Amino acid sequence: MDDRKLHIFLDSLLPLFKAGVAYTIPLALVSFALGLLLAVVTALVRLSSWRIPQLIARFYVWVIRGTPLLVQLFIIFYGLPSVGIVLDPFIAAVIGFTLSVGAYSSEVVRAAILSIHKGQWEAAFSVGMTRVQALRRIILPQAARVSVPPLSNSFISLVKDTSLAASITYVEMFRTAQQITATTYEPLLLYCEAALFYLLFCSVLSVLQNMLERRFDRYSAR
Amino acid sequence: MIEIQDLHKSFGPLQVLKGIDLRLEHGKVLVIIGPSGSGKTTLLRCFNLLEIPDRGTLQLAGLRIDFTDNRQIPRKTVLSLRQKTGMVFQSYNLFPHMTSLGNVMEGQVTVQKRSREVAKKRGLELLAKVGLADKTESYPHQLSGGQQQRVAIARAMAVEPEVLLFDEPTSALDPELVGEVLKVIRQLAAEGMTMVIVTHEMKFAADVADTIILMDQGVILEQGTPQQVLRQTRNPRALQFLNRLIGEE
Ligand SMILES: Nc1ncnc2c1ncn2[C@@H]1O[C@H](COP(=O)(O)OP(=O)(O)OP(=O)(O)O)[C@@H](O)[C@H]1O
Ligand SMILES: [Mg+2]
Repeated sequence: MDDRKLHIFLDSLLPLFKAGVAYTIPLALVSFALGLLLAVVTALVRLSSWRIPQLIARFYVWVIRGTPLLVQLFIIFYGLPSVGIVLDPFIAAVIGFTLSVGAYSSEVVRAAILSIHKGQWEAAFSVGMTRVQALRRIILPQAARVSVPPLSNSFISLVKDTSLAASITYVEMFRTAQQITATTYEPLLLYCEAALFYLLFCSVLSVLQNMLERRFDRYSAR
Repeated sequence: MIEIQDLHKSFGPLQVLKGIDLRLEHGKVLVIIGPSGSGKTTLLRCFNLLEIPDRGTLQLAGLRIDFTDNRQIPRKTVLSLRQKTGMVFQSYNLFPHMTSLGNVMEGQVTVQKRSREVAKKRGLELLAKVGLADKTESYPHQLSGGQQQRVAIARAMAVEPEVLLFDEPTSALDPELVGEVLKVIRQLAAEGMTMVIVTHEMKFAADVADTIILMDQGVILEQGTPQQVLRQTRNPRALQFLNRLIGEE
């Protein structure tokens, strides 16, 4: 690596890291938190016996899973203004990613709830709990443990997918790399550098996942 | 007093209970025996409405529920009935994410809205009573089957039910662990706890029961004292069942 390239590499470290910490991570965190909430609600609706909400939930999952995320983001950010809805890039990105996480993770949450043995529901009912109490105190905590590995996968995917927000003018880490490339003409260097940061963030997440699983292992069966 | 009249229950086309009548006085122990598939578990689960009967009436702890014509039972009735009954399952069904003490406190805190201190005090007393004073902070997977079942008994007692329901509480246990669980149940019987017990342990049944009912194919074949049911029955199907049990022992 010659001197100029090394300089560009070193000079870009801080801007990229800052963009990652200040824009990529918050976007991922906010979208994931909201998406998870949406996923639990969607899963519960799909497991309920309310006909109409159930249809809506299934329609939602069907549409989101069946269309590309990039197209969804374009519809939200570039499409909606033609019907008078103009959104800030961050808000548009959060909406897009939340809907996506909600749809995919609802399947994970649903499967996790269904995987809990029905004896657990019955034990909860036998001490007088309502369905909501049984769900909150007995079923969801156990389902959460089952969901940690697949949901960690979703979160790691999401962190990487946030780079799609660059295409709707949200200046996160990848768009920052694009901007630096535009002035330095070093695409290979800058995009590899951005890739390294994504790798770093995702590795940290994997470590956190392991810690979380170990915490849950306290009570899991041998 | 518990009273059941003309109780019917079907699963689809399969008639599992075909008109059950029984009475149980406060403080007495009722043991249900009978061949596999005769409807013992289903009957027991009707006591706390884990199964909703199709027809008949159930009177328990001052509640009277009429199931005629598949009538919807009000949610409040179901919940208050379940608070007045405790159930012990064949496969324990402890909450695996809670310690022994947590299991015993859960119903008290979540359902009865007792303070954590009160629930903890009672939880510790109950665990001591079933001989697990040293296992209060253990998670279920750290306990033997016999210990888990004793925690389950403490959990069922914690909400101060008027009747305890046991579905083959020892049949998932290794033979050497059966005794410790039966001992706890005997002790409860001696203290005057009202209990309904489904079991295959005949000697235990004969000792602990005030009344035994012998079920077969959804009906009660014999009902009476252990002596009457186990020694004096003339019913050929009852004799067949009892002789097969003796053959096994
Ligand atoms: N939820 C259910 N759906 C359909 N059939 C059921 C259901 N529960 C029980 N049955 C059937 O009802 C019959 C009686 O079952 P039950 O479990 O009450 O018998 P049991 O006397 O407890 O037998 P065991 O000694 O084997 O436990 C059986 O034929 C069983 O297959
Ligand atoms: Mg049974």
